[in-house]
Amino acid sequence: MNDMDYQVHREAFERAKLAREALTNCNLCPHQCNIDRTAGEKGYCGLDDTVRCFREMLYYGEESELVPSHQIHFAGCNLRCEFCVVAEWNELPSVAKEIDFDDMAKTIARRQSEGARTLNFLGGEPAVNLHGILQLLGRVESKIKVVWNSNMYYNDIVDKLTMGLIDVYLADFKCGNNSCAEGLLGASNYMEIVKENILKAAGHADVIIRHVVMPGHSKCCLKPILEWLAEKMPKVKLSLRSNYVPPVKAISAPKEYLKQEDMQNVVDLAKSMGLKLTK
Amino acid sequence: MKSEPYKRKPGDFEIRILNDGKVVMIAPDETLIEVAHAVEPSKNIMPSKKGDKKECRKSNQRNRVKN
Repeated sequence: MNDMDYQVHREAFERAKLAREALTNCNLCPHQCNIDRTAGEKGYCGLDDTVRCFREMLYYGEESELVPSHQIHFAGCNLRCEFCVVAEWNELPSVAKEIDFDDMAKTIARRQSEGARTLNFLGGEPAVNLHGILQLLGRVESKIKVVWNSNMYYNDIVDKLTMGLIDVYLADFKCGNNSCAEGLLGASNYMEIVKENILKAAGHADVIIRHVVMPGHSKCCLKPILEWLAEKMPKVKLSLRSNYVPPVKAISAPKEYLKQEDMQNVVDLAKSMGLKLTK
Repeated sequence: MKSEPYKRKPGDFEIRILNDGKVVMIAPDETLIEVAHAVEPSKNIMPSKKGDKKECRKSNQRNRVKN
């Protein structure tokens, strides 16, 4: 291990301690549960201080500059997206297997030898597993880029404790107004919080904005997001995704799949606004 | 068949066959992607566990959405 790696490891462990301390009166995210997760209490995310992983894999479906990407899916989330495709793990994170950090560090090394170009922390939501991710970063060698694959709905402490340890923030910007965010994601003050966190992340790392285009949400969600990006971050990499999957029992969420022609219109709109698309 | 939609439990797979014949895999894990490749290897590339290049059906990778 070289000196730089040693410093990164030590810094990650120090920050992991701070993140764990924050769990004693948890306010990692805007839900501000103010409960003691280290004493076994569980917050909105369904988590105490146990870090659980429900899937790890080498994945080729992320943005082209990130693949093959070693995904580590942490259980538990601070949003309740009606269309979530891994909801079963986020509703019941306690059934996912507890992470053995040393074993996972070995798995990360193995995945790098298999060709992983990035180490990708996602969930669920990585922010509510911050203490675990920092512990993990303290154990691995930083040979490849580290990706924070997040809904960006978290409090300032998360940005502070990840700053300098994350190479790419893959920001999932889901809704373009607070009303849709409240109804579809169960998130209050969504726009203010997510915009602020995206801008903060862009101040110290690469950012890729991902938006899954939802049928029927062009004017209320897609357009405001594109307009904000064009104004505030015109050079940011934008990943527009057409893979919305309607839930089997949709209430507020769109019930249909996105049509190919609608996706083409979306791409044309983004290009007309001067935004830089990435695939 | 039950009239109510099936609610997945942790560990379940879900594959949907749409009216137009498209197959949608919900949050596929590695095993499911390998199964899809075995069913129809075509245009996209995925490696085997040994790191060799294989082809993989495009739709398998396209239809995965994070929460």
